Amino acid sequence: MEFEIWNSKLHYYILDQNGLPLDKFEKLQTELQGLLAEFKISGETARVTPLRSIGDLVDTASQRGATTLVACGSDDTFNVMLAQLKGRDFTLGFIPFDEDSMLAKILGMENLAIGVKTIAGRRIEKIDLAKIGNGYFISFLEFGVMSHKLKSAGLWQNIKLLSSESKSFIVRIDDSYTVTLSGLGGLVANIRLTSGKNQTIANPTDGNLDLLMLERLKKTQVLSYKGAIADGLLEKVPNTTVIKCKKIEFLEPRGFSLTMLGRQVAKFPATVEIIPQRLRMIVGKNRTF
Amino acid sequence: MDKTLDENLNSPAETVVGPSVKIQGDLNSEGNIKIEGQVSGKVKTSQSVFVIPGAKINADILAGNAVVGGEIQGNLKITGHLILQSTAKIIGDINCQIFRVEDGAQFSGKCSMGQNGVQPPVINGKKGPGMKMEHEIEPEE
Repeated sequence: MEFEIWNSKLHYYILDQNGLPLDKFEKLQTELQGLLAEFKISGETARVTPLRSIGDLVDTASQRGATTLVACGSDDTFNVMLAQLKGRDFTLGFIPFDEDSMLAKILGMENLAIGVKTIAGRRIEKIDLAKIGNGYFISFLEFGVMSHKLKSAGLWQNIKLLSSESKSFIVRIDDSYTVTLSGLGGLVANIRLTSGKNQTIANPTDGNLDLLMLERLKKTQVLSYKGAIADGLLEKVPNTTVIKCKKIEFLEPRGFSLTMLGRQVAKFPATVEIIPQRLRMIVGKNRTF
Repeated sequence: MDKTLDENLNSPAETVVGPSVKIQGDLNSEGNIKIEGQVSGKVKTSQSVFVIPGAKINADILAGNAVVGGEIQGNLKITGHLILQSTAKIIGDINCQIFRVEDGAQFSGKCSMGQNGVQPPVINGKKGPGMKMEHEIEPEE
């Protein structure tokens, strides 16, 4: 952990409405600007519009010499911002507009006010960065099993999803061995809600990715393990394969989707790699890792 | 069972190979490995390997400790404890420091114990005074 000397003029805030009702978004925007002024970290704020994407704003921040880039919005806002970095060196921050944000809980900033206070505190932790194709992510990707679908689905729908026909997956690990699995899918995790420094799985500072692959469940098991699967805790489910590695090549079935929060980010064949300690992230004292 | 081994065996596996998984190649890990599926190639860790009943391994294993309940066709080089459970079936040579075999385990191959012929002394499960010896069990007919 480190603390940096900083200049608030070099802060660039990307504000993203991303599904929020306009009145709520504008209220949050006003509250944010008030808090930024109060903590003297105003810098420059820019709002995402249909004509100005997050990628455009990251480019603008880079041109203006910003050193700290802060995503203000949902987890998706941060993930899209991360994917648009294209190797450029920023210290990153996140301010949640959504109180259910997983990322906010992981980083220890439960709401907007704590988020601003955290940015002002500027406690920086170096964490691993995961790379897929030309994009980046810090949390996790899913394939086959969609945790958010399970959370919202009813019991019968879950039974249908988790006891459906298995697919044959082939993945290559660390250029060293090939794994063939007949199962439902799984996830690749760098960080998840239960991440922690003492955790063996999804520890964002261990320099590894964790691949968890789920086998088909018996109908009677669905009820017992539905919650764990919806929370991404696949290792709690019997017969789950767990692999710690630095590089994963998803080979088969071709065309199968890799998703983040339900949004497709790539299709098989795809390669995911970890870049250890690459990201400088502003974190709160209540972070999980 | 000594305390360090007990702790090591009870710590969660870093790598778990599920029952429907087939692995081909060199499986290396820095932590414990639990194998319930099939592996062909090589398995290597400085920690412990658990081969669960039903698992099939066609590979050499290099590990700190090993508890075997499944089938292995390959050589085992274990720097610490090797425990063969009653369901174990091994075709290959074994090199380990401390060797325990349960009733019903099958083993066909050579067995040498202790590095350079020096075996850590274990008498009735307790550490005793040092002694030099090398065991060789002839392969089963």
